[in-house]
Amino acid sequence: MNSCKRNKFILLFLLFGIQLNAQQNDSIPKEKHEDLEEVVVTGQYNAQSVDKSVFEVRVINRREIDQLAGNNLADILNQTLNINIIPNASTGKSGVQLFGLDAQYFKILVDNIPLINDEGLGNNTDLTQINLDDIERIEIVEGSMGVQYGANAVSGIINIITKKSSVHKWQVSPYVQEETIGDEYNWVDKGRHIQSIKLGHNFNESLYGNAIFTRNNFNGFWGDKEGKSYLYNDGLRGYEWLPKEQYTVKSLWSYKKKNFNLFYKFEFFDEQTERYAEEVRENYMPETETTQPVASDEVFSSARFFHHLNANGQVFKQVHYDVSLSYQEQKRNVEAYNYRIRTEEKFDVEDYEYESRKAYYSRGNFSNFLPKKQSDIQIGYEVNSIKGFASSVSGMYSSENIERTLGSYDVFASSEIVLSDKVSLRPGARALFSSNFNTQAAVSLSARYALKNGWELRGILGTSPRLPSYEELYTYFVDVNHDVRGNSNLNPEQGTSAFIHLKKKSKINDWYLSNKLSGWFMNVKDRIELVIINQSPLQYEYTNIDTYNAWGLTFTNTANINNVRINGGATFLGVSKVLESEESDTDDYLYGIQLNVNASYQIPKWNTVVSAYLKYNGPQYQYVQEQDENGEIAILKGKQSDYSWLSATVRKSFLDNKLQATLGARNIFDVTTLRNTTEGGTVHSAGSTNNLLGYGRSYFLKLLYNFNF
Amino acid sequence: MKKIYILLFITTLIFGCEENDDVPAQPFVAAFEKLSVNLSTITEDSEIAIVFSEEAFGSGEIIVQVSSGEAVYGEDYATIPATESNQIIIPFSEGDDQTSFTFQPLMYPYTIDDNNTSITFEIIGINYSGYSNIQGYTSTILSFETSLGAVISPEVGGPNEGDQVFIDLSTEEVTSAQRDSWDLGFYGGDEFRVKINGSIYMAAAELESTDIDAVSLADVEEIQSSVAVGTFDPNNEAYIDDPSGAISGTAINEISATDADNKVYLINMGYYIGTETPAAGSVAIAGEHRGWKKVRILQTSDSYILQYADIDATTHSEVTIAKNDAYNFSFFSLEDETVVTVEPEKTNWDISFTVFTNIIDGAGSYGYSDFVITNVVGGVTAYEMSTDDVSYADFSFENIDEINLSDDQRIIGADWRDVFSGGVYNDRFYVLKDVEGNYYKIKMLALLSESGERGYPEFEYQLIN
Repeated sequence: MNSCKRNKFILLFLLFGIQLNAQQNDSIPKEKHEDLEEVVVTGQYNAQSVDKSVFEVRVINRREIDQLAGNNLADILNQTLNINIIPNASTGKSGVQLFGLDAQYFKILVDNIPLINDEGLGNNTDLTQINLDDIERIEIVEGSMGVQYGANAVSGIINIITKKSSVHKWQVSPYVQEETIGDEYNWVDKGRHIQSIKLGHNFNESLYGNAIFTRNNFNGFWGDKEGKSYLYNDGLRGYEWLPKEQYTVKSLWSYKKKNFNLFYKFEFFDEQTERYAEEVRENYMPETETTQPVASDEVFSSARFFHHLNANGQVFKQVHYDVSLSYQEQKRNVEAYNYRIRTEEKFDVEDYEYESRKAYYSRGNFSNFLPKKQSDIQIGYEVNSIKGFASSVSGMYSSENIERTLGSYDVFASSEIVLSDKVSLRPGARALFSSNFNTQAAVSLSARYALKNGWELRGILGTSPRLPSYEELYTYFVDVNHDVRGNSNLNPEQGTSAFIHLKKKSKINDWYLSNKLSGWFMNVKDRIELVIINQSPLQYEYTNIDTYNAWGLTFTNTANINNVRINGGATFLGVSKVLESEESDTDDYLYGIQLNVNASYQIPKWNTVVSAYLKYNGPQYQYVQEQDENGEIAILKGKQSDYSWLSATVRKSFLDNKLQATLGARNIFDVTTLRNTTEGGTVHSAGSTNNLLGYGRSYFLKLLYNFNF
Repeated sequence: MKKIYILLFITTLIFGCEENDDVPAQPFVAAFEKLSVNLSTITEDSEIAIVFSEEAFGSGEIIVQVSSGEAVYGEDYATIPATESNQIIIPFSEGDDQTSFTFQPLMYPYTIDDNNTSITFEIIGINYSGYSNIQGYTSTILSFETSLGAVISPEVGGPNEGDQVFIDLSTEEVTSAQRDSWDLGFYGGDEFRVKINGSIYMAAAELESTDIDAVSLADVEEIQSSVAVGTFDPNNEAYIDDPSGAISGTAINEISATDADNKVYLINMGYYIGTETPAAGSVAIAGEHRGWKKVRILQTSDSYILQYADIDATTHSEVTIAKNDAYNFSFFSLEDETVVTVEPEKTNWDISFTVFTNIIDGAGSYGYSDFVITNVVGGVTAYEMSTDDVSYADFSFENIDEINLSDDQRIIGADWRDVFSGGVYNDRFYVLKDVEGNYYKIKMLALLSESGERGYPEFEYQLIN
């Protein structure tokens, strides 16, 4: 990588992103429109400015993370167009949904390599488990990125770029963040309490090291629930959102010489989630007219270890290399017990491993083989071995635990062909060899065409397979009334996406403007669904059968003038599901819209930034089957109501920028549950449900202190 | 220095306090284990148990008032500890969760003159250092009368629910039989009817042939997958007995006096009792499949003639089973080739806990665990009450509405429990009329054990008078 250039930009971010500039450094120009010069690495041969990137990379920079006081990914992504965050109140997890596809289709990377979780490497990630305290920026790319990032990068990827240097010899930054959860807050068992401290030191010109410790104590959302000491079986015991407590320890060591960079990153993450059962066995004793209520509770403990060693640089004064080695594991253990609520006694305590993934991983990119500057070739490999474990209780498995190892051995190559100043092309291909599945292929073709007057046109075509999940492969639920089976012969699903972006940059008087119109189409075929393979007796099996199509238009705009920054965008999305698995279905497109706008205003005199973020999510539709009174299956259009997220914050620096205070409110429109009629009415569920989406309007205060010397 | 202070200030904010939960208190209660005891069951010195709501955290004593009408203390009966001014004082110690006193039936052996004896013990005081109250079963009556009610935990065998349990409410008597110990039940009443064992998901299909030896596997292969429970095919209702319990609805047609009308039946033998231990709260009802048989049943005077064989056999066995009017059915095991005892005599049980083959409208037969049937063949009827109309506690003789009494055996059925939460619906209870004309109200208390395992039901019932 071009470390010099990168350093310069990191510096820029440090200075303007989080305003650590205790001493004014005159050599760095004070930029007020850094968005226009943002640098990205996702999908690039070398760190590139956003303008030069062949991919359309969206950046959430440190400034935005700080303005939203984002502690984890789930705190900030809900302001992003096309992305929805789907919280699961009963597991405490939050997954990402992009173009209507869930977290299985989406890959999360840290410094270009996929991040493990207990259900996969890169995909199925719980966003609340991704701490942002050492993050420089977040890069989001929509579309299938199989050539660059392999399997499961179907709807898109997030690449989280961590900070790897500091301008200060010593840096000590503690912070505390106090946050209400809805209107719930106290010092004991309500609200969210975050404490963190970061230490950084430049040992010499070449060696930098840092360490971060963060505790995030989320006390859960009580709502109408009555907590763990509630005695009655009327559905009120427990929490609306599960309480969880997280500890993150991270450390980074970076060594830099001319044409050689090395970093080692370590992370330990620990999370404890308490699941208090809603169901109470009251154990009423008529003899004494008393109760001895008992509940079956579970405490989940997740631990993640992350090691990443990366070397990059240049050899033979020509070839760029970037090689990563990584070992990662995440394990979720559960302590299941019965709890006598009156006497606060645990009994029948059982500890066991619930789910885990362990992965050895390596990736290498090599580029710049040709002396000619116009064109370039990149070749690379990505190999991993993932050992997975799923206990029999984590899904509908037979009574045995599932233990499998999946090896993936990919090679890829791409070429950047600069045809002229205006036109460049980048074709690429990847072969995915696997220990368990047939060999897969991914291809990509990107083209960039620079038009006159700052107009620019890009087209990106990409593919990526999605590997079947454990649930789809190994489910086994067979008894006298049921027969539901996984299918170990499933093939990966095939995702393809095509994007066209038209962009225009301009400066009118003092206004810096950037406007972009994107159109896209996405197709996933061989979608895996649970289908009826036999009517009598009724048997279900997971099968490659369905097709998913989506297309849409996104219009985004940025404007900067003096101390004001405004972003606004709109997206229009149509989704069509061809459900071969259903007897009567419809594959008509269903459409939805999302709008977002955010604005910030800097008041230099007061060292204060005021900002507001608004995202409107239009109603979402889905076809559902319902039986009418004659027993006929009818197709109805189910609807999830529209809602908006609004956050507003004020950040002010004191004491020569040493102390920073951020005061804000999230979810100002007080969104909690949404009426949803997209879930089919069956014997086991009602036709209309209320989805828990948020926990209502919350307020936070973050105080950060920088000791830099 | 200032920096250090600020750092210290911030770091002191870091750790919060410990959680602090307040659980609402309930009183310490000592109460009789039983509402009534039938004196005929007391033939020697017997303990009368007093149960506590919780382990006592200190010592104390319970004061019981005795009233015995005609019966004379010291002559007809006595207690240990002895009474003093018609009171017994029973001490208990820290850590006890129950206590008892001894009842001595001095009048035993009982004569016809003792029939009106009624001795009542009533708790009138609890001396205890903590918060206590007198409530619940505050008195117990020893007499020869019908039971006033009880709390019963039928032992159906945990999550495999391996046993059928029969309960006679008026005597509190409980009997049980292993679910797969029988295959066919031969009706003891007027008609010639044979039922199959729905508790192991058996199914029966009439074949064309009247020659049992001529039927081979090839003849039935095509229909075998349909002749089963839980296929989600509404047509499979023909292969099971009418789940209402109506004797006219058996899968096997009425046995004709004309032999030529009695066809051979294909018998799906259902499943052995499951042996797996499922996750807490779930059941493992069905084990291995028990295979296939063929049967043909004829009648002669007051007996049934059962011909039976393995499905592919070319010879068969034959056994004569006499009708027995004292029982609803005479039971036969095709596996053990013998008549077995399953149900008590037909007047000696009111409800049964059993696995059951029911029908879901539109989906055909479906296997149910935790099912409760009423003895409708024996003449027991029942209906369900909603607590919206009147509470279980308030329901009295005036509330009984005869017209609601149903002869469908599924009145309690499976609707008393919520399999998803593992709980019991508190919004309903049941009214039952037994063959002696007693009315009982029944309230289900539990589906799971304290540890959350399935197959540990519990219910309370009380005589309505």
